[in-house]
Amino acid sequence: MPEMETVVGLEVHVELITGTKLFCGCSTAFGADPNTNVCPVCLGLPGGTLPVLNKRAAEFTIKAAQALNCKISEMLTFDRKNYFYADLPKGYQISQFFYPMGTNGDVEINIDGETKRIGIQQIHLEEDTGKLLHIGTIISSPSSRVDFNRAGVPLIEIVTKPDIRSAEEARLFLQRLRSILRYLEISDCKMEEGSMRCDANISIRVKGGDNLGDKTELKNMNSFRSVYKGIEFEVARQKQVIKEGGMVAPETRHWDESKGITKAMRSKFVSADYRCFPDPNLPPLDITKEWLETIKAELPELPAARFKRFLLEYQLPVYDAEVLTNSKELSDFYEVTLTYFNDPKTVSNWVMGELLRLLNAASLEIEKCNIRPEALAKLLKMIDKNTISGKIAKTVFEEMFESGEDPEVIVKQRGLVQISDENALEDIIFQVLENNPKSVEDYHKGKKKAMGHLVGQVMKETKGKANPQKVNEILKNKLDN
Amino acid sequence: MDFYKIPSQKLAGQVREDPALLDEIFAMLSHFHNEVEDLNIFILFDPENIQKEMTFLKEKIAKGKSLSLAGVPVSLEDNICTENIATTCGSKMLSTYKPPFNSWASEKLQEAGAILAGKTNLEEFGVGCRGNSSFYGAAKNPWDQQRIAGKGAAAAVSTLMLPLSIATDTIGELRQAASYCGVIGFRPTYGRVSRRGVIEYASSMAQLGIISRKTSDLAAALEIISGPDPQDPTSLKGEVPSYRASLQNEEKVFKIAVPDNWDQAPGMEKDVKECFLEQLHNLTAGRVQVEYIPLRYFHKAYLAAAVISAAEAFSNLANYDGVRFGYRGEGKSLQDMYIKSRSEGFSSKLKQFLTFGALVSSGKHYEDYFLKSQRMRTRIKNELADCLERYDLLLTPTTPFTAPLAKPDTEPDQLADPALFYTAAASLAGLPALTFPLYTSVKRPAGLQFMGKAGDEASLLQISALLEERGISLSFPNPGSIK
Ligand SMILES: [Zn+2]
Repeated sequence: MPEMETVVGLEVHVELITGTKLFCGCSTAFGADPNTNVCPVCLGLPGGTLPVLNKRAAEFTIKAAQALNCKISEMLTFDRKNYFYADLPKGYQISQFFYPMGTNGDVEINIDGETKRIGIQQIHLEEDTGKLLHIGTIISSPSSRVDFNRAGVPLIEIVTKPDIRSAEEARLFLQRLRSILRYLEISDCKMEEGSMRCDANISIRVKGGDNLGDKTELKNMNSFRSVYKGIEFEVARQKQVIKEGGMVAPETRHWDESKGITKAMRSKFVSADYRCFPDPNLPPLDITKEWLETIKAELPELPAARFKRFLLEYQLPVYDAEVLTNSKELSDFYEVTLTYFNDPKTVSNWVMGELLRLLNAASLEIEKCNIRPEALAKLLKMIDKNTISGKIAKTVFEEMFESGEDPEVIVKQRGLVQISDENALEDIIFQVLENNPKSVEDYHKGKKKAMGHLVGQVMKETKGKANPQKVNEILKNKLDN
Repeated sequence: MDFYKIPSQKLAGQVREDPALLDEIFAMLSHFHNEVEDLNIFILFDPENIQKEMTFLKEKIAKGKSLSLAGVPVSLEDNICTENIATTCGSKMLSTYKPPFNSWASEKLQEAGAILAGKTNLEEFGVGCRGNSSFYGAAKNPWDQQRIAGKGAAAAVSTLMLPLSIATDTIGELRQAASYCGVIGFRPTYGRVSRRGVIEYASSMAQLGIISRKTSDLAAALEIISGPDPQDPTSLKGEVPSYRASLQNEEKVFKIAVPDNWDQAPGMEKDVKECFLEQLHNLTAGRVQVEYIPLRYFHKAYLAAAVISAAEAFSNLANYDGVRFGYRGEGKSLQDMYIKSRSEGFSSKLKQFLTFGALVSSGKHYEDYFLKSQRMRTRIKNELADCLERYDLLLTPTTPFTAPLAKPDTEPDQLADPALFYTAAASLAGLPALTFPLYTSVKRPAGLQFMGKAGDEASLLQISALLEERGISLSFPNPGSIK
C-alpha cells in the first residue's frame, strides 16, 4: 500500500469580546439568565430588525485579519444566509458571504523543531445564533427551549486551507491561533464556554496525490484535547475503511467525548441552499487605507515576534521562550519582573517552574494571581543577597501565592532570614558534631557522604535558615583540622 | 367647523390657541368613521385611544410646547409599529401582535402633536395591490365600492376624514392607491424617512410615504417624519430641507421629460391614456416645458422589481416561524410547526408570492432571475439618473388603469403586476415620486406620476403646488354621499 497522508482543514468560530452584540446594544456577557440579554433587534421582532453595526466588532475582525497576514477586503459588506432553525431569530444569519473581511493569510506553527505555515483561506465576521436547551438529550427531552442571549453576539469564522497533516498540527495551530487572538485582546477563546469552537474537515489521500475518499466534517469538539483525539480517531477510522476496500462517505460526524469515538449524525435538513444575497439593510462601507493604518498601528507584538525576541534578547532556550510567549499575560508578567530583577534565566525558571505549577494546581489564570511581578522580583533579590535560601524562598513563594503578602513581610514575620553569622553557625555546628560522633567517625574513615548528613542536621537545627555555603565551609574546616 | 377644508398647519395653530377644539375634532372623527365604516378603511379605530392622546396633547399644549401638527388627525398603516397598540400587517400571522416599541414615524408625529386616528388596512404585509390578501378584507374605493382602494390609507384621505395618512410604498403601492382614490401620494427619496419600526417586505425598496389632499399638508408632514436616524443604517444623513419654505418658490421653470413609449403598459385603459394626453397638453404652458425622450429600460422595471421584492420578502418574512411571536400552528416537530404556522398564518396570495421569492433566489435560479434583475436595476438606476440630469422631472401616468374591480382571491395574480408598470422604476432607483390626481371621463380618478432626482423632494412638492394652483385637481366626493 502506498504511503498515505492526512488532510485536515479547520473552521474555527471565535466570539469577540466587544461587550455588546454585533447589530444591537445588548450585552454579550456569558452566563446571564436565559433571554435577559435580548431586544427587538436580536429577537427578530416584526418591525424591530434594523441592524446597526458595532464598529468595534468590525475593527476587531480587521485586527485579526491583519494578524493572520490576510489580504483585507476594500469594502465592508454583509450578506444574509437564509435558513430556518429555532435558534435563528430572523430566519437568516447576517454574515460576510461574498466579500469576507480577509483572505489568503497564514499562521506559523513550530512542530518538531521546524516552522510550518498553515494557510488561512478566509476570515469573516458574522452573528452568532441562540442556543437550544434540552432536558437530557434532544431526542428524550419533552420540549425544546431557546435562549437568545447568544443570538447576535459577534463571531469571526476562520477557515484554514487544507494544510494540516496531523492531529498534533491541528492542536498546535489552534493553540497558536488562540494565542494570537488573545494577544490582540479580541476574544477570550474559551473552548469550554463555547467562545472558541472548532470543526474539522478530514480526509485521507495517497501522499501528494488525490483523495482516497470524500472528506467528513467533524463537529462537537469542546476542548483542545478533544480536537486532537477526535481527529486522531477519525483519521484512523478512515484509514481502516480504505484498508477494508471501502470508500469514506461524505458526512457530518459527531465527536463523542465520553465514548472516544466519532458518529455519523442524522440530518433532517440535508440540502443546504442558503440563498445568500447582500443584506439591503446594511449598505457597504469603505474600508479606507487610513482606517486600516490606524488599526494596524494599534496591533500589539504578536506571539511569533515575541518568541523570536525572547530568544535573542534574553538568550532563553526555545522551550522557555515558547511556553512564556504562548500567553501574552504570562510573557508580560515575565518582562515586567525583569524590569525589577534583570536575570532572564532565573526569572524564567521561577515563572515556568514555581509559578506555572501553582497556577495549574489552582486552575488559575495569571491575571488573577496574587503574586505581582514586583513581589517576585523582591523575592529573587532576597535570594541574591543571601537574605534567604532558595529553599526557603519556595516556601515564601507559596505563601505569597496564597495570601498575596509581601515577601519581606513574610520573611520577617516568620523569622526566615538566613543565618550567615559565623559565630552563631559555629555554635550550632559544635553542637551537631557533639551529638553525631558516628558521622564524624565515618567522615574520618573516608565516607564523604557523612558530610551530607551533618549539613542536613545543621539545616534541621536552624529550620533551614542556615546559609548552606557557610555551613559547608565551617564544617569542612572543623572536620579536616 | 369643516375641519377637512382647513390646512393642517392652520388647524394646528387653532388647536394650540384653543385646545377645546380637540373635542370637536374627536366628534368629527367619530362621525366620519361611522359614515365610512363600509369601506373597511381601518383595521384599528380606537376612540378611547384617540381621547387618551388628546388629553395628553392638551397637557403638552398647556406646557407651551411648539407642536406643528397639534391636533391634526393622522393615520398610520397597520405595518407601522405603535407601542402596545396592535400592528397586524393585515395578516392572521400578526393578528395579536402588539409591538413593544414605536416606529420612528409614530414617534415623530406624536412629538409634533399629531393624533393617531387609527391603523389603516393594507394588503397582507403590504404586498401587492389587488385587494385580495388582507386578513381583514379589502379596503373599498370611496368613488366606487365595487372597486378597490389599494390601501385604506388612500381611502381615508379621499373621504375627507383625514388630511394625512402615512403608509408604505415599496414598488409603488402607495402611489397606486392614491391614484385609485384621487389623492396626492408621495414617496420620498429612499432613506429620507427612517424605516425603524416599519414591518416591510423588501428592505431595498420600502419607504414610508404620505397621502394627502393638499400639497402644504404634505410638506408639513414630510418635514416632521424626515431626518437622519442613527438607528437606520440606510437613513440619509444631513439636514432635512425646509419643504414648506420650498413651496414659496414661484419662479421655478420645470423641464419635464416624458418617455416616448409612455403608453406601452399592458392593460392600458383608454380613458387613462386620453386623460393623460389632455393633461400633458394643459401642463405645457408658462413655467412648464415638456419633452418626449427615449428610455430603454424603464418599461422593464416592474419585472425586475417583482423578482427582487419577492426574493427579499422570502427572507424578510422568515422570522414568522411561530417560535417567538405571532400565529403558531401546533406541530409534532419543529419543522411541522414551521409548516403549520406559515401555512395557516399566511394567505394563499402571500404564500404564492413567497414561493416565487424562494424560487428566484434559489441556487438553481439565482443567476437567471435574481442576478439578472439586479443588473437590470442598475441599468434603470443609471438611465433615470442620466435623464434627471437633463430634466427636473420625469412624468408618466401613475397606473395604466383606474381602480380595478375587487377580485376574488381564488383568481391567480400575475407575479409581475402591470399595475406597477410605472411606479416600480422610482422604487428600484430609490428616487422620490409623487402622484397627482386626475379625473377621467369614466368618473374615476387616475394619476400623473412625477419622479425627481434623489434628494430633490422640493421639485415634486413645487410641481404639485403648481398643479393645485392651476386647478388641475378634482372635486372630491362628498363624504355624506358615500353610503
Ligand atoms: Zn439585542
